[in-house]
Amino acid sequence: MGKVKVGLKYCGGCNPDYDRVKAVEYIKEQLGDAIELVPAQTEDTDMVLVVEGCEVCCVDLAPFSSRPVIIVKSEEDAQSFVREIKARYEH
Amino acid sequence: MMTAEEYEESLRRLNLNVYMFGERVENVVDNPIIRPSMKAVAATYELANRPEHEDIMTATSHVTGKKINRFTHIHQSIDDLVKKSKMGRLLGAYTGCCFQRCVGMDTLNALSMTTYDIDAKYGTDYNKRFIEYLKYVQEKDLVCCGAMTDPKGDRSLRPHQQKDPDLYVRVVEERADGIVVRGAKVHQTGAVNSHEIIVMPTITMREEDKDYAISFALPSDAKGITYVIGRQSCDTRKLEQGDIDRGNIYFGGLEALVIFDDVFVPWERVFMYKEYDFSGQLVEQFASYHRQSYSCKVGLGDVLIGAAQTIAEYNGVDRASHIKDKIIEMNHLNETLYCGAIACASEGHREPSGTYYVNTLLANVHKQNVTRFPFEIARLAQDIAGGLMVTLPSERDFRSSDIGKWMDKYYKGRSDIPTEYRIRMLRLIENMTLGTAAVGYLTESMHGAGSPQAQRIMISRQVNLKQKQRLAKKLCGIVEE
Repeated sequence: MGKVKVGLKYCGGCNPDYDRVKAVEYIKEQLGDAIELVPAQTEDTDMVLVVEGCEVCCVDLAPFSSRPVIIVKSEEDAQSFVREIKARYEH
Repeated sequence: MMTAEEYEESLRRLNLNVYMFGERVENVVDNPIIRPSMKAVAATYELANRPEHEDIMTATSHVTGKKINRFTHIHQSIDDLVKKSKMGRLLGAYTGCCFQRCVGMDTLNALSMTTYDIDAKYGTDYNKRFIEYLKYVQEKDLVCCGAMTDPKGDRSLRPHQQKDPDLYVRVVEERADGIVVRGAKVHQTGAVNSHEIIVMPTITMREEDKDYAISFALPSDAKGITYVIGRQSCDTRKLEQGDIDRGNIYFGGLEALVIFDDVFVPWERVFMYKEYDFSGQLVEQFASYHRQSYSCKVGLGDVLIGAAQTIAEYNGVDRASHIKDKIIEMNHLNETLYCGAIACASEGHREPSGTYYVNTLLANVHKQNVTRFPFEIARLAQDIAGGLMVTLPSERDFRSSDIGKWMDKYYKGRSDIPTEYRIRMLRLIENMTLGTAAVGYLTESMHGAGSPQAQRIMISRQVNLKQKQRLAKKLCGIVEE
């Protein structure tokens, strides 16, 4: 399978429960060449990764309605995302 | 939008007339006492340019459709109002001090409504002028200092009754191309870090005070404007070698007296001229927005709670039940403040101008809480920190080749924590509760956006007591004619 192109969108981070930027760094570190992270407004991505700081999940998802959206709202979610992409990459 | 670096460079191009300690400050941006306050304003640019904060820190201009810094935005929805409250917490937590840019945002939003309403009554064109000015501010991504508080002299007298007529800003000359103004505004937050100064009346004016019922905008380096920097407790520590004794090593707030010595204002920058019957509305709308803006203190509370928990751990007392309970109380108070900031935004509404306005009752309740809770949070932080916070020797003693070893030995807390960490955390708590940052966290919480009594007056006006009486009477069977 080729490289997965992922649009990245953060919430505003007013009072996050974890370090969102570190979580994305972890994803980059773990997935390396398997993914290409680009700004979410880039239209031709395979999916949009929305990194939310808490359960409120305030990001407006309407602009991404034409693409699959994965929401990460904790460090555990970031680990799950890594596992999912790795599984896909291996196949 | 500007970057933080571009903002700093833009300030270097200004020719501000600034005084401190009786001398003119030639290089404002690099002055060690002023610079931390410039860095705090620069954080409003820095975070707006980061993808992980752009959702809160930026907005889409309703006049140009362009992406802008939220501090120059006119609120177009409830979501905008809520994001403004959240932005305050975010920046307060990031800087640990007053970041100074909210007052300009609140002034712009209040003027967007008042100019519209004046035009509706008198057929003037203030709103058109204002929108043109707003486009300029948004396009250039400028910092505006909202200047409201006059010196006021004898508080028992109206502006026109004062022995010295300049104790409230007033028009002293009317020309074909504009007006000449004279007076001063006191404790102006972030004034020397601003590109623009927007002046508003400070109280409701009557007909005999109509020369004082004026609102206008000026470039901050306009001819005739002088700034005198306000002193803060421990301010000259910023002149010392080392950084530990400053507490907050990056950021700080700053206020100044702003003097208008016969300054010319062109008509296109005048937004209210003697319409005294709208002065009260402008004051009230600005004040309500600005009372919402005290969501920033929740962010400062986050920092102080973090500092209190950390020093408890460094001291080895974090497992004591009374310490845990004090930390819970600090969080309870801080999150209660946040409830008010979110509630007054969520319960906002659309005004005829199209601008969204906070719920004034809840904004005043929120600010009334802010006049109290930070003081209790600070008291608990000092309780947990212990007296060492105010008896510690200076950083130079810790660095001394003669006595440094004793400083390290006798100021050690837990053996696995470097003494310097403990000292740094104590200095941060000192900074926020009685040093330079206490200006913002405590006294500004008390008097900024109006002293406590101002909110109580607004609460009494806004609450529907009759409705509450009807509810009570109905439930106990009182039927009145």
